[in-house]
Amino acid sequence: MDVKGKLLEDSGVQRNVFFTTIEQLKAWSRSRSLWPMTFGLACCAIEMMGTGGAHYDLDRFGSFFRASPRQSDVMIVSGTVTKKMAPVIKRLYEQMPEPKWVIAMGSCATAGGPYVYSYSVVQGVDQVVPVDVYIPGCPPNPAALIHGIRMLQEKIREDGKRGKRVK
Amino acid sequence: MIGWLKGMKYTLNQGTKEKITYQYPEEPIPLPDRFRGIQKFYPEKCIVCNQCVNICPTDCIQLTGKKHPDPKKRGKIIETYDINFEICILCDLCTEVCPTEAIIMTNNFELAEYSRSKLYKNLDDLNNHVTNLREENKA
Repeated sequence: MDVKGKLLEDSGVQRNVFFTTIEQLKAWSRSRSLWPMTFGLACCAIEMMGTGGAHYDLDRFGSFFRASPRQSDVMIVSGTVTKKMAPVIKRLYEQMPEPKWVIAMGSCATAGGPYVYSYSVVQGVDQVVPVDVYIPGCPPNPAALIHGIRMLQEKIREDGKRGKRVK
Repeated sequence: MIGWLKGMKYTLNQGTKEKITYQYPEEPIPLPDRFRGIQKFYPEKCIVCNQCVNICPTDCIQLTGKKHPDPKKRGKIIETYDINFEICILCDLCTEVCPTEAIIMTNNFELAEYSRSKLYKNLDDLNNHVTNLREENKA
């Protein structure tokens, strides 16, 4: 151990002071204030609203639904993405400021779900925008959505630890 | 002033009521036994009758069977069993139609993944989890 390290150990700095990098700190603060966009497409949106309600209370995780894409960090694609809606989703995604994440909630947003053979449904929202977390279910329980959001928080913190730069 | 007092009375009364928020990630949420989570599959019970594949509304189940290794016994045993959770809608029809209760529902709902390919569950994935099985058709 070099002199500096020994000095730090003797004075108890390493035991008493929490060291981190600015990237990790930024990732931590981002993961703890994920603001989703108020944006629902089908029945999964009802479960998403239920997650925001009193019983599941998404505000506990620092997630507040914002009315504008310009103020939000995460887009929860909750419902069937039709071919008519796909350009709108792409536009909303592009209106969000960086850094931004996407959660595909439910079978429809993941792969088309029960409408997988339909002529008018996009087979997964990942054909339109990049998706970070997929939550299967039809629709997923509010607790499953909370689990997905916590997985996204974990991913953001992991990216910060590994030094992956977000814009 | 009277209106403010009325409002405060209502607010303070709410404080005495029982809290209704589920502390979900710290404590498990209470779910009814009818809840439809990911299926549990018992390969030794399956008789390869294909009824679950035929009834599945989204065609997300694929299975293959092989002849029974014991030549004295008739019938087939299961070789592969895959459920595509990208499109499975957890409708419970496969478990209702199963004559031997080889496939049953569980209360496990934490299925989120980072990539779509991980949502393909094979026989081992469906066999390995042993918690929160549905009481009524537990082995």
